[in-house]
Amino acid sequence: MERNENEILIGEGVGFERIRRITGYLVGTLDRFNNAKRAEVEDRVKHSLSMGVEDLKKGA
Amino acid sequence: MITQIKKRDGRVVDFDLDKITEAIFQAAKALGGSDRSTAKRLAEQAVDYLEEQGVRTPGVEQIQDAVEHTLIENGHARTAKEFILYRARRTRVREMNTKLMHIYEELTFRDAKDNDVKRENANIDGDTAMGTMLKYGSEGAKQFCEMFVLKPEHSHAHQDGDIHIHDLDFFTLTTTCCQIDLTKLFSGGFSTGHGFLREPNSIQSYSALACIAIQSNQNDQHGGQSVPAFDHDMARGVAKSYRTIYRNNMAKALDFAGVENAEALSRGTLERIEAENGLWPALDENNGYHEREAEILAPAVGEEVYEKAKRFARAYTDREVDRATYQAMEAMVHNLNTMHSRAGAQVPFSSLNYGTDTTPEGRMVTRNMLLATEAGLGNGETAIFPIHIFKVKEGVNYNPGDPNYDLFKLAMKVSAERLFPNFSFLDAPYNLKYYKPGRFETEATYMGCRTRVIGNVYDPSREIVTGRGNLSFTSINLPRLAIKANRNIDFFFEQLDHEMDLVIDQLNDRFRVQAGKKVKNYPFLMGQGVWIDSDKLGPEDTVGEVLKHGTLTMGFIGLAECLTALTGKHHGESEAAQNLGLEIVGTMRKRVDDESRKTGMNYTLIATPAEGLSGRFVRLDRKKFGEIPGVTDKEYYTNSFHIPVRYEISAFDKIRLEAPYHALTNAGHISYIELDGDPVKNLDAFEAVVRYMKECGIGYGSINHPVDRDPVCGYTGIINDVCPRCGRREGEGVPKEKLEKLGLYRHLNSQSCGYCGNPAEEADRNRLPNTVKMISADK
Repeated sequence: MERNENEILIGEGVGFERIRRITGYLVGTLDRFNNAKRAEVEDRVKHSLSMGVEDLKKGA
Repeated sequence: MITQIKKRDGRVVDFDLDKITEAIFQAAKALGGSDRSTAKRLAEQAVDYLEEQGVRTPGVEQIQDAVEHTLIENGHARTAKEFILYRARRTRVREMNTKLMHIYEELTFRDAKDNDVKRENANIDGDTAMGTMLKYGSEGAKQFCEMFVLKPEHSHAHQDGDIHIHDLDFFTLTTTCCQIDLTKLFSGGFSTGHGFLREPNSIQSYSALACIAIQSNQNDQHGGQSVPAFDHDMARGVAKSYRTIYRNNMAKALDFAGVENAEALSRGTLERIEAENGLWPALDENNGYHEREAEILAPAVGEEVYEKAKRFARAYTDREVDRATYQAMEAMVHNLNTMHSRAGAQVPFSSLNYGTDTTPEGRMVTRNMLLATEAGLGNGETAIFPIHIFKVKEGVNYNPGDPNYDLFKLAMKVSAERLFPNFSFLDAPYNLKYYKPGRFETEATYMGCRTRVIGNVYDPSREIVTGRGNLSFTSINLPRLAIKANRNIDFFFEQLDHEMDLVIDQLNDRFRVQAGKKVKNYPFLMGQGVWIDSDKLGPEDTVGEVLKHGTLTMGFIGLAECLTALTGKHHGESEAAQNLGLEIVGTMRKRVDDESRKTGMNYTLIATPAEGLSGRFVRLDRKKFGEIPGVTDKEYYTNSFHIPVRYEISAFDKIRLEAPYHALTNAGHISYIELDGDPVKNLDAFEAVVRYMKECGIGYGSINHPVDRDPVCGYTGIINDVCPRCGRREGEGVPKEKLEKLGLYRHLNSQSCGYCGNPAEEADRNRLPNTVKMISADK
């Protein structure tokens, strides 16, 4: 980004909030997770809807 | 000649024979001895013994060994035994001091980011004064209970990681959680201990007092607080607001039309109909009120004036009550996220269940609570409390044509944006069997973490949710049993039986402590009659009998790792493993059912919500057994019966495989689905997942998806590396000019908030009353 010397910057050092659910509760920042839960959150994979929404609607 | 000794901390100090004499004399004295000279003689003999061994500067342990040896040699076996006990006691105290002081040192001088203990519970800010004070107390209490309160075999099993006694710091103090009946609590008013609160008279007061009730009860217990039928409890507040606002609007309309004494006339008419017919003006226009009103008012003010005034009053009242309800719900969400009144370091753990009240008032509560949640907090942040649970029920809200179907749809939309509400399913057979239409206390509900309390062996006539909760729970380390079984399934079950006996014995011990407490120890929970039947007790009465309505609960963690250790595969990978998994959890359920039958107490089985525990067990097991692939090779054990989080599986299969465990875990359960991308853009998929949960017999479920927020520009949604709104990366600054151009900049005095006020979100908020009205008109 082009910027001049005197430009005022807002938000330096401010992180993004990433809200995640942990043991049923939402937590506003990953910083407060304990090491084990942090590892668990990082490991989570998405669950595909590979059956397709239509199949899911019909049920098993 | 011994002249110096080495102390435990390594310092070398002058040797003092009197200290040994004193220790021996104290041991003898405990047995009735009073002969100090014998003690001195034995001390000298012990020193001689040391010198014979060639020791020059003995350590404390060496001296004590020598004393024991000498006492036994001289036939003082009983004194020796006493001395050994004295020594063991001293060692325990010393260990406690050392270990505890070490923990305190860590708590004091290290930031939460470097100290896992401070982050044991993600909802406590361990860096604050009250957060640290809370941890001092908690860690001290845990040590005390481990050393002096628990039976040695329970303490050992807990410390060693065979079992985990949850909330050990509160062992001697209180119980876990409660499902609060607000309707009952509000009736006639209540007291929080510092002043009496009258029965509330408007929806704003209802929601404010609901917060106060949750907060007051929270400080009497260590777990969560749940409101099982929030819409039903608040509906009366809406009705009261409607009555007041309608009366005022009618007075204004009559006054404007030139009617004299309009206010007195409006009030008089309302009070007369109330007294004679038991009717209030209400959202439901067909309740008969207006017919009576017409009979009284039309002759008094003229047909035409009355009709006009009524139309005015109805239209404005509908709108104003809706707005008041929205504001009440908004205030509630704000309060529950901001009042750090739980030990000064946490907001109360609050859960609200709703969605089944089909009255216009109840529907208004549910709709506005959802809309307030959708809007988020002041800067559009996603609210992390309360936990919202939308109760799904066929015939009430599940299918098109059901009276609250629109609210179910709205709940899914809000959940797709804000992660709440979760969904509970009253049609799951094990929930349905308690359900009685129109009786909200028979609708199975869930408390935040997943706790479920409804069945009641102690009093089968009270199979209800209100006024009850869990007393305590203890979890079993399933992977360890499996590792030790070394693929021998029979041996696994043998160990499991032994472990379950231990857990039940431990739960009973804890219950005996809890049962000895008095009503005065729980000024709100028991003193205000929140807990079932506590209103029949006086302040000095013990609570043991009424506590029997609560549950004593066994839990478990790491079914997936357990199955992998036993069979090589977990239940997502193999049908055989799934069958074994069901057999294991079924065995545990049978054990608690048998115990319930035998004792008439409510023993139940929970799919443990393990936060601190998920890492603790695996750390201990890795130390004992090394790194075992698929078992101890991660930093955590998989939650309860969940399919491992990193295993690739379709949402469909995950739900299907986890559902049968919901039926077995009668003390609570939850299943998660992780959705990719922004579910708001694919609400059909979101709905399909929720409906599939219901069809499979899931009791409680929720859908996870990323909700990120950039506090600098206020964007909420998915943020990968770059914020889609202001274009900054994490930690980067944005030129003030750019924020101004986006219309996002307000104040200069803060680096993390203040330049929020996102115009799009503000506009949403301003648009709300109209949106609400449109929904009202649609129904």
